[in-house]
Amino acid sequence: MASDISPALARRSGPGRILIPVVLAIAALITLFPFYTMLIMSFKPVTDLSFPNALIPTGLTTEAYRTVLGGNDMIRWITNTLIYSLVSVVLVLLLASMAGYAFAKKRFPGRNAMFWSFLAMLMVPYHITLIPTFVILSHMDGVSTYWGLIVPTLANAQATFLMRQFIYGIPDSLLEAARMDGASDLRIFFQLILPLCRPILATLGLFVFLWHWNDFLWPLVIGQEPEMRTLTTGIAGLMRESTPLNVTLAGSVVALVPIFLAYILAQRHFTEGVAMTGVKG
Amino acid sequence: MTSLPTQVHVGPPPTEEEPAPAPARAPRGWWQQHGALAGIAFVLPMFALFVLFRFLPFLGGFGLAFANVDLGGEITFAGMANFQYMIHDQLFWKALTVTLLYSVIVVPLVIVVSIGLALLVRRGTRSMRIFRSVFFLPVITSLVLAGVVFIWIFGDGGPVPSLMSVFGLDTGSWLTNSALALPAVAIVAAWSRFGFDMLVVLARLNEIPRELEEAALVDGASAWQRFRHLTLPQLRSVVFFLAVIETITSFQVFDAIYIMTSGGPVNSTYTLGFMLYDQAFKFFNFGYSSAVSIVLFVIVLAFTLIQRFAFGRDDNG
Repeated sequence: MASDISPALARRSGPGRILIPVVLAIAALITLFPFYTMLIMSFKPVTDLSFPNALIPTGLTTEAYRTVLGGNDMIRWITNTLIYSLVSVVLVLLLASMAGYAFAKKRFPGRNAMFWSFLAMLMVPYHITLIPTFVILSHMDGVSTYWGLIVPTLANAQATFLMRQFIYGIPDSLLEAARMDGASDLRIFFQLILPLCRPILATLGLFVFLWHWNDFLWPLVIGQEPEMRTLTTGIAGLMRESTPLNVTLAGSVVALVPIFLAYILAQRHFTEGVAMTGVKG
Repeated sequence: MTSLPTQVHVGPPPTEEEPAPAPARAPRGWWQQHGALAGIAFVLPMFALFVLFRFLPFLGGFGLAFANVDLGGEITFAGMANFQYMIHDQLFWKALTVTLLYSVIVVPLVIVVSIGLALLVRRGTRSMRIFRSVFFLPVITSLVLAGVVFIWIFGDGGPVPSLMSVFGLDTGSWLTNSALALPAVAIVAAWSRFGFDMLVVLARLNEIPRELEEAALVDGASAWQRFRHLTLPQLRSVVFFLAVIETITSFQVFDAIYIMTSGGPVNSTYTLGFMLYDQAFKFFNFGYSSAVSIVLFVIVLAFTLIQRFAFGRDDNG
């Protein structure tokens, strides 16, 4: 990071030199403690789940993982979550960049009214539309279906807004040149706009994925049948059914692994996402 | 629109002049105008989704608040009945109080922690960057998944009650204690949010001119004096921004409540966000649930408007 503090200020003296690392270390331990607990206890036998022994990494076994992955449920939840997340990411990115392109580079009647109504929806909390969306979906027979799970979440105002802002910055001269060469609108969009949007698509895609992977309330409401459960609603179900804690935690760890892997591989995009007004769902 | 902005930022709203390529020819109808049909074709899929799944449900929410929905899905007009019931519903006032109390705990907690840690990890050394990464981990973690382990951490005989008893406080499980369940959920929510706020504070800290602080350092100002008189005034707008964002977020809390307490014990964690789910999907009272959501919407909208007016379009103050 280029804009970090200068050496004059960085040179700490007195108590700060020891105190700051100690405070940070304590904060990091508190932050990491639940993850550590989750990991260790998921490898503990069911007979050894009480504090403090449960936190000591001895007598570890993969029993809980074999139980949770042995049944068909977990595989089903992983599949459902993957379908929900991946299909949503592809479609949100495609539809948001299409709309963003139209808002940024096209003139058509009603454009401003449409754009402002999109922006206004950013102020409407998700919860407010939850019940009516469910009622609409139940009239359309979308309850406990994949399309009912996915389609309503594609209407993403934040993604459309961010794509419009980015495409707005692409010079018109580039588009004009392509048009002179006889490129159609579809061609300009797919071969010029989308490749130029790659950095923002990566960041946005990661956040849309994260949001869907972690989403709980909508899958809970719309996935009434057990076979429509995602990882979050499935594990919440395990908890309610009083499954042994090590088995539930093993399920949680499995559900966390892809997110942590993505974080390790693409940390920069996560931090950039926060800078982009916080796409967090 | 000839200049090329070097970075994405919240740009100006669309104006009529903006995409300039229309060559000067005889006036034509809009449908013949360059790209108008293509523009509509490109925006239509997203716009249709919006109409169906955002605008319609939004209006529908207001409609349902004045209606009753029976189990067969039959919707009948009910006038103000839901709101009249709400005024006398002890559970609603309880939920409103719990939600306010929850916000009062979680908002200051998360802001103080994130400012403190942002100041400490401000230096860009390698170890500081590792700390930043660690503090961001809870942000990307689902509270449903983490909630499972927090139940154990705050539960009977778990680490937190055991630590308390070392200090002579016999709390037992926090989650079955009607005085401690809400603070427990608030702490968990703060754990999941502070890393995000810390990055927002860091971004602001990096904009503060170095010269000021260096001058103060040369003049012999102590760390506390520098923080109190130089840094803190500069952070005022970001603190306000975070307070609004965190208040809005905390008013809608659901995941952590559902997993950790389900509103209990004795409704001590029964928030508005949980209430609207509970009324709709446990009691199938869709009309009443929508009325509760309207109240939630008005509160959230008030805070959003405060933020918009205070900052214009510059969200980061």
